[in-house]
Amino acid sequence: MWKVLPCGDESEMSIKIDRVKEYETILEIYEKEGLDTSLFGDRIATIIISGDRIIGLNNIPGVEIRGEEIEDGVRAYVEIADGTELHFPIHLCTGFLKNEGYQRVIFDITVGRNSKVKFTSHCIFPYAKNFTHEAIARIKVGERSSVFYEDEHIHGEGVRMVGKTEVEVGKNGRYTGKFSLTKHRARELKLEMSARLGNNAVAELVSKVKAVKDDSVEMKEAIYLEGAHSRGNLKSTVIAFDNSRVNVVNEAYGFGDYSKGHVECHEIVKGNADVQTVPLLRVKNDRAELTHEASIGRINEAQLVQLMAKGLTEDEAAEFIIKGLLRE
Amino acid sequence: MLRLRNISYSINGREIIKGINMQFRGDMIYSILGPNGAGKSTLAYVTMGVLKPTTGRILLGDRDITDFSITEKAKLGISMMWQEPARYEGITVREYLTLGGKLRTNKDELQEVLELVGLSYELYAHRFVDKSLSGGERKRIELASLLLLKPRYAILDEPDSGLDITAGRLIENVLDYFRKIRTTVILITHHEEIAAKTDFAYFVCAGKLIKKGFSREIVQYYKETCGRCFLAEMRVR
Ligand SMILES: Nc1ncnc2c1ncn2[C@@H]1O[C@H](COP(=O)(O)OP(=O)(O)OP(=O)(O)O)[C@@H](O)[C@H]1O
Ligand SMILES: [Mg+2]
Repeated sequence: MWKVLPCGDESEMSIKIDRVKEYETILEIYEKEGLDTSLFGDRIATIIISGDRIIGLNNIPGVEIRGEEIEDGVRAYVEIADGTELHFPIHLCTGFLKNEGYQRVIFDITVGRNSKVKFTSHCIFPYAKNFTHEAIARIKVGERSSVFYEDEHIHGEGVRMVGKTEVEVGKNGRYTGKFSLTKHRARELKLEMSARLGNNAVAELVSKVKAVKDDSVEMKEAIYLEGAHSRGNLKSTVIAFDNSRVNVVNEAYGFGDYSKGHVECHEIVKGNADVQTVPLLRVKNDRAELTHEASIGRINEAQLVQLMAKGLTEDEAAEFIIKGLLRE
Repeated sequence: MLRLRNISYSINGREIIKGINMQFRGDMIYSILGPNGAGKSTLAYVTMGVLKPTTGRILLGDRDITDFSITEKAKLGISMMWQEPARYEGITVREYLTLGGKLRTNKDELQEVLELVGLSYELYAHRFVDKSLSGGERKRIELASLLLLKPRYAILDEPDSGLDITAGRLIENVLDYFRKIRTTVILITHHEEIAAKTDFAYFVCAGKLIKKGFSREIVQYYKETCGRCFLAEMRVR
C-alpha cells in the first residue's frame, strides 16, 4: 500500500492525508463487493477520485496520469508511452460516497504506438439515493497498440448515469471495451459509445446490463469502419425485468474497403418490461460487409426445456441461462 | 417400466404420431429406427413432456405421468438428449455438466465421463457450451451430461449423427456405461450398425409403429424395406 503523505505533497504515490478516510472507505467497499483490492498496490498505475477530489494517484514507468479538480468533478489525462506493455491493469477508480449530488468525470486517454494495456475502471456509488454521474471518456489507441477497457459499476439504489465514450483506433490497433451493470440496479442509464477505426484496426464493444423494477436504460453504440480491412463487433445483452424500459440502438457504418462489421443485440424480457432494439447498418462502399443479429423476447425455449429435462425447474433453468448471458 | 399406450399426436390437423404402443423395461437398451420425418423426435418430445399427446397415456410403473411437466418427469428419472443440443453463452462445460453446481459430483467423475466420450477434461472443462463448440463436440458433451446424470431412462435422439468415424465405438462405450449403471436407454437412430448394438428395436414409419423385435431382426427388416419404400419416395416428392 502507498505511503500517506501530507496535503500538497507533489511526489508520486500519494494519498492526501485529509482524504485517508475516504480512501479507506473505498477500499472497504472493494472488499465487500469482491473487487480486486490488489489494484491499490504500488505496482499499479492508479487514479482514485472521490466526489470532486483526487484522493490518490500513482504513476509507474510508461504511464503518466495527471488530474485536475474541476467544478463538480475531476478531469484526468492518462498518457501511455510508445512501446509500453503492462502486466497489470491501469486502475481508474471513481467514487462518490454521499447520498446525493452531481459528479462529472472526464478522462482523456492517449495510448502511444506498439503498446499493450488494460484499463480497469470502477465506479463506486454505493450509497447513492439521488445522484447523477456524468462520465466522458476519449480514448485514442495508437498504431499497432492493443487496449482492453473494462468498466464495472457498483451502484446504490438511486443513480442516474450518463456516459459517453469515444474511441479512435489507429492503424493495426485493437480496442476491446466491456461495460457491465448487472449486479446492481441500473435505475437511469444513458450510455453512448462510439469507435472510429483506421486501416486494419479492430474494435469490439460489449455491454451487459440488467434492468429491474422501473429502471430505464438507453444505450447507443456505433462503430465507424473507416479504414480499409477494419473490423468491428458490437454486442449488447440486456435483461429487462418488471416494469423496466430499455432502448438499444446499435449502428455500424461500413466506409473502408473490405471493412467488416457485426452487430448483435440480445434482450431477454420478463414481466411488463418495454424493450426495443434498433440496429442500423449503413454502407458507403460496395466492398464493405455488415451483418446483424437481434433477438428480443423470453428465454430461448430450447435452452429452457433441455435444462428442465435434467430436473431443473423453469425458474432455475432461466436463472442459470441468464447468469451465463451476463457473465463477464 | 415406462409405457407409451396408444399415443397420438396431431399438429395443425395433421396426425404425426398414430396410436403408438411401446414399452421400455428396466436394464434394457432399446432403439427406435425410422426414416426422416417418421415421427421419432416427436415421440421423444411427447415422452419427455415437451409436447402433450393428443390421445393416449404415458405410464411409469403403475403411475400415469401423461400430464407431468418436463421437470417432474426428469425428477422421476426420465431424461433426454436432443437431436440438436442447445448452446449456452457464458456457461462452461464444467458448470453445464454439474448444472451450475446443483448436481453433486467431483472432478474424477467429470473426468471419467468426458474421457468416455473422447474429450479431455483439461481441454474442455473450461470451454463454453456456446457456438464455439463444433457439432460433434457439443453432442459428446451432451452424452457426458446424461452419463453423469444417471437417469433411470435416457432418451437419446440421434446421438450418433454428426459424429466422426469413432461414433460406433463411442456409442458402444456409452451404452456399456448405461448398462453398468442400469439405465434404460431409448436410442433413436438411422444407423443400422448403431441400432444393432441395442437389445430390442422399434421400427417407426409415417407416425406408425411398423414392427418391433430383437434388434438384429428389426435392423434386417429396416435394411430390406426402408430403402425401397414408396412412402420414403412420397416424402421426397
Ligand atoms: N411443429 C410442426 N408443425 C408441422 N409439422 C411438424 C411439426 N413438427 C414435426 N412435424 C412433422 O412431423 C413429422 C415428424 O417429425 P419428426 O421430427 O418427429 O421426425 P423424425 O423421425 O425425428 O425425423 P428425422 O429422422 O429427420 O429427425 C415430419 O414430417 C415433420 O415435418
Ligand atoms: Mg428427429
